[in-house]
Amino acid sequence: MKAYKEFIKGLWDENPVFRMLMGMCPTLAVTNAAVNGLAMGIATAFVLFSSNIIVSLVKRLIPNEIRIPAYIIIIATFVTIADLFLAAYFPDIHKVLGLFIPLIVVNCIILGRVESFASKNNVLYSAIDAIGMGVGFTWALTLLGIIREIFGMGSIFGVTVMSSSFTKWVIFILPPGAFLTLGVMLWIINSLSKTKTSESHCH
Amino acid sequence: MGKSIKLILILSVISLLSGAVLSLVYSITSPTMEAVALENQQKSIFEVLPGIESYREYKNDESMLIYEGLSKEGNVIGLAYVAEGAGFQGRIKLMIGMDIKSKRITEYKVLEHQETPGLGAKINEEGFKQQFSQKPWTEPFKVKDDIEAITGATISSRAVTELITKSLDEVLQIVGSDEQ
Repeated sequence: MKAYKEFIKGLWDENPVFRMLMGMCPTLAVTNAAVNGLAMGIATAFVLFSSNIIVSLVKRLIPNEIRIPAYIIIIATFVTIADLFLAAYFPDIHKVLGLFIPLIVVNCIILGRVESFASKNNVLYSAIDAIGMGVGFTWALTLLGIIREIFGMGSIFGVTVMSSSFTKWVIFILPPGAFLTLGVMLWIINSLSKTKTSESHCH
Repeated sequence: MGKSIKLILILSVISLLSGAVLSLVYSITSPTMEAVALENQQKSIFEVLPGIESYREYKNDESMLIYEGLSKEGNVIGLAYVAEGAGFQGRIKLMIGMDIKSKRITEYKVLEHQETPGLGAKINEEGFKQQFSQKPWTEPFKVKDDIEAITGATISSRAVTELITKSLDEVLQIVGSDEQ
């Protein structure tokens, strides 16, 4: 039961993007198309999963004073592994994401989960936490990518869905579009959750 | 004192382990990465010089990498060369094709770039690329006047345009001086 709770919290209640507002840099930067958001989410989930497991394994060996630099080295190692594997075996995806893969190192979701969860819990729960958070981050980025791609390019995952008379709102694939879309999404999701909380208090 | 030495040692061990893992992964992936890059480069010669049967190296030194595209009969019908220059972020590497008969650019292909996905990365899309095909070698062309820039990516558009005009001059000089 606890395992299920650790998994499910990342999807909605503690969703890294919509509820905790962590990892805003990749969230805003790469979600200009659905496929970019999806690939970024998967790469981040891999790094988060591997780092969470390693840190929860070695947490007793790392003295408290140097835990942050030690975690950063572990995270950076997995980011570089992801970068190299993508470059060798998925050159097309690597070409699109290029610059943003190395930037996963400074994604605060990963350091945040490692520091607040993996360093205090066992390997199994850390792995489940990472999967939940990874999936939560991935769906959030993919959703933002889909919305921005529809308005900005009239397509989803590169497939045209709007008629040719549709005027593309280029602003949606430019940086301001990221802020606009994220802001509106946060408003919708916050108002949904508020109703839910007050209802549950009544009962 | 003893404590800080312990901390230094632990961090060094972690860094060493990380370095060891990474060099192992790199040694596994680097042959594949190089093969992918080389295959791309060779495939792109055929893409920028449609109609050629084979190619041979014309010049390969530090400054330039030029290929001659050969027709079925073995005549040189086009030149393809690798051009490299600064983009909006990082370097842009192009394979550019030149048709000898019409003295025009055939097209270019992006080998490497680090432009912004969705914006500058469109230098790799047909809509932008086709503007360069059939441009004469010797008439210079500019963004705005002759080339329509990509929306939101003026710097990337200008970088590609300038890279092509500049490298074209260099190639013409090399080829021209060899002929005399």
